[in-house]
Amino acid sequence: MSVATTITAAQGAVFDDVEVGQDIPSVVKGPMTTAHIMRWSAAMENWHRIHYDWQYATGNDGLPDVLVNGSWKQHVVIQLVADWVGDTGWAWKIAFQFRGMNIPGDTLTAWGRVTDKEERGRWGLVDLEIGLRNQKGEESTPGTARVVLPRRGGPPVPYPFDPAALDAP
Amino acid sequence: MSAEVSEPPDYITPAVRAIIGAEAPPIEAPHAVEASEVRRFHQALMDASPRFWDPEAAARYGGPVAPIGFPVHAMRRMEDAPDPLDALQAGDHDGVDRRLRPGLPEVQVPLQRLVNGGYAYELFRYAHPGERIRLRSRYVDIYQRNGRTGPMIFVVIEDTYETVRGEPLLRSTNTIILR
Repeated sequence: MSVATTITAAQGAVFDDVEVGQDIPSVVKGPMTTAHIMRWSAAMENWHRIHYDWQYATGNDGLPDVLVNGSWKQHVVIQLVADWVGDTGWAWKIAFQFRGMNIPGDTLTAWGRVTDKEERGRWGLVDLEIGLRNQKGEESTPGTARVVLPRRGGPPVPYPFDPAALDAP
Repeated sequence: MSAEVSEPPDYITPAVRAIIGAEAPPIEAPHAVEASEVRRFHQALMDASPRFWDPEAAARYGGPVAPIGFPVHAMRRMEDAPDPLDALQAGDHDGVDRRLRPGLPEVQVPLQRLVNGGYAYELFRYAHPGERIRLRSRYVDIYQRNGRTGPMIFVVIEDTYETVRGEPLLRSTNTIILR
């Protein structure tokens, strides 16, 4: 048996096991370096100088250093939620604000906490508070998420996801 | 507010108000999602989920997929489009395109600083390599708030991403702040 055949879809959280107030597993990235920022900027073809031109970032814009891309940070909080729901639930809604800067040297931890849960149709909805903190505990990307999870013994969450399916008889 | 502090001008002029609700013609990504592009993305994100490359792990989705937020970056430079780096030759250019979305009218406000306030995403489906992505954008709202640091214009844009066959991928509500 090849190694690849042992990889299977990820079992995500099950609604019945979720408790309001619980923390979900965090996702940690870093320490971030200018190379990480360059790699992302190149992958998405972002030419904003504050991500690679130190003199411009600190001089013209008065920033403490070049900045970790907000466009990158958003995917980290999305990954946090997507990892938790796995391939059995669905990360329906994710919203966040870019409130703070992150710079090279930062180690970033995406975190989430369950704020509410309710049954909906044959599935369960769970609301989360989410964010991205650096090693000093400073929050830069606070937000919220709503996910759809299967109930134990219940049907799989429909994919592609159509919100109308939640209320279908 | 004390009488000697002057109220900032109202930047939401009739011309600005007139573009609220404006919709851009649908635009298509210049090329279909590429497997190597997906690899560079998930590696730059340091997201090692096998759903990005392993058909078995991605069975629920009908095969390997791009990261769920990938469509937001799919509207790339056309082959014959002007080089964006040319603008950097003007010494103080910050490298950011002031056209907030292709096909949407410019927000005519004399404020230079642009801050991305954040996003609210609603996710429906992963995009697959080989699929071409289409974007529809519209101004949902444009409004002014006067803070202690001066006036701020909030531009709220809804972006709807789908495959060119019309399968919904994600909807994004982006708040951009001009100040």
